[in-house]
Amino acid sequence: MSQTKSGALGVFQYLDDAIAAARQLKSAGYTVHAMTPTLYPELQATVDPGPSGVRWVTLTGALLGIAGGATLAIWTSLDWPLITGGKEIVSLAPYLVITFESMVLVGSIFNLLAMLVFGGLPGWMRAEGYDQRFSEDRIGLWVPADAATAEKAAAVMQAEGAEEARVATG
Amino acid sequence: MTEMTSLTYKQVNEDVAAIGHRVGKAWWVAFLASVAVIITGGLCLAYQVHVGLGVTGYTRPAMWAVYITNFVFWVGIAHSGTLISAVLFLFRAAWRQSIYRISEAMTVFAVMTAGLFPLIHLGRVWFFYWLLPYPNQRELWVNFRSPLIWDVFAVSTYFTVSTVFFITGMIPDVAALRDRATGVRRKLYTLLSLGWRGSTRNWKHYAQAYLYFAAFATPLVVSVHSVVSWDFAMGLNPGWHSTIFAPYFVAGAIFSGMALVITLVIPLRRAFGLEKYITEWHFDSMSKLVLFTGCVVTYSYLVEFFIAWYSGNPFERTAFWDRAFGPMAWGFWIMAVFNCMVPQMLWWKRNRTHLPTLFLITIGINIGMWFERFVIIVQSLNINFDPWVWRGGYHPTLIEFGITAGSFAWFFMYFLLFLRFLPVLSIAELKEVLPAPLRRQGRAS
Repeated sequence: MSQTKSGALGVFQYLDDAIAAARQLKSAGYTVHAMTPTLYPELQATVDPGPSGVRWVTLTGALLGIAGGATLAIWTSLDWPLITGGKEIVSLAPYLVITFESMVLVGSIFNLLAMLVFGGLPGWMRAEGYDQRFSEDRIGLWVPADAATAEKAAAVMQAEGAEEARVATG
Repeated sequence: MTEMTSLTYKQVNEDVAAIGHRVGKAWWVAFLASVAVIITGGLCLAYQVHVGLGVTGYTRPAMWAVYITNFVFWVGIAHSGTLISAVLFLFRAAWRQSIYRISEAMTVFAVMTAGLFPLIHLGRVWFFYWLLPYPNQRELWVNFRSPLIWDVFAVSTYFTVSTVFFITGMIPDVAALRDRATGVRRKLYTLLSLGWRGSTRNWKHYAQAYLYFAAFATPLVVSVHSVVSWDFAMGLNPGWHSTIFAPYFVAGAIFSGMALVITLVIPLRRAFGLEKYITEWHFDSMSKLVLFTGCVVTYSYLVEFFIAWYSGNPFERTAFWDRAFGPMAWGFWIMAVFNCMVPQMLWWKRNRTHLPTLFLITIGINIGMWFERFVIIVQSLNINFDPWVWRGGYHPTLIEFGITAGSFAWFFMYFLLFLRFLPVLSIAELKEVLPAPLRRQGRAS
């Protein structure tokens, strides 16, 4: 994957070193991105602590699913008002099944779309600072910056225990 | 568990990536055999479509039989995957990590198989779209008060959600495989991983979405097999019209699904050398769940018989007497032995962790659970309200056997492709179980 922007890249073996470096860089005003082989909540809380917006989109999808499922069942029954099995034309109890399934279906689709949009996926063209070791056993910190500022960020990471810290230009 | 904590992150990547390259002659033999059986099943289906449903053994009053049995069986099998991946995720059960990917794959392929049978059972399969609510020239709509339409919504939602859950869960692992792969595999994994970099942005929204998928999937599991049970319970037929059907079917689904996970995992573990990842502890935990759900199923059988007697309803009493002692009682006794008696062997830890014994027990359970559905459907229909139709004349034909065998091959073909091309274990989640790499222990936060 090609590097398309300039910045400082730090490769860490240890999680605590990466967290310490991220804290230093954040307090110095740098923007920091981390790349990790698995989810590290502690590093996540340091680098990007805010809540995800996925939940609101998912809730919206679920509510739309409820509205859509109930509307479909009720409206189509009124459109062709045929009594079957002695039940009401609009039989709310059986329509709960349709409403529930629609809530799950539409909520899940919105959940997926929110994950993709907020998470920047698909991101085939975004490869800044990526190294194949980050899917294996190393932690990467990427600080987008011009060459002079990136030198300073790399020095911070080196001081905090990065096994490799360098300026990477695109 | 102790074997797993000795693993390193790098070793997890290497081991999982190696699985797809470790397939040998046995894989090809199994794959080609599956394709051959699918072709046979497809020819049987083509013949049925050409000639009509008369080639089956359907005889009034048993107009639902093996195809609906297969449908309920495969939907049941599908349930363990979502149970392991979603329900156990919400409960933070650590033993799910090593087996959830396999069971999720099983879920998706089992629903794909289950979904075939209502269409095959239609006879005129080309009219399947009549089940969908769409505007048409006669301004007719589907009957939303019918459990058959609930089924359409429940099964299609279940297939969609479990497939999305399966594919989403694989994204970080496929990215890990991408970074080690070359050639066509690398291109395939690059496409499937959606450019995943493991960035904090990727992980943050992925973790949140995964939690919500699990939260949606958990009640969905319960709803889908409840809806399937209502296909029967909403009918007035003796042996079907029961309020316990929903929990009874859900427990039965988890029972059979877990049993099939164990049946598949035991040979896989040996063939691909996964002893470090799937340990005795995993089998012990899975077996306990099989034992528990087996006890629930046994209790449900007893309640059915008790209520049939206690109700004083002669039709119910006759139906259940016929079930145990009538002309097709062999089906009932196969079910009772394999689902009620055989699982009791799992009270002993030795049987829960002795894999050859466990393998045989779980195969027995799957045979028993297939017959449970056969008994519920065919035997209940055979003894209806009108004694003049009590012919008991339904017998499956070769066409039905062929299509049933084809469905098993259809399932196994996809499963074999999964073993070869996709990450069989969750690389990212296995790393969550391993100790985090810390220079100074206890300093992560």
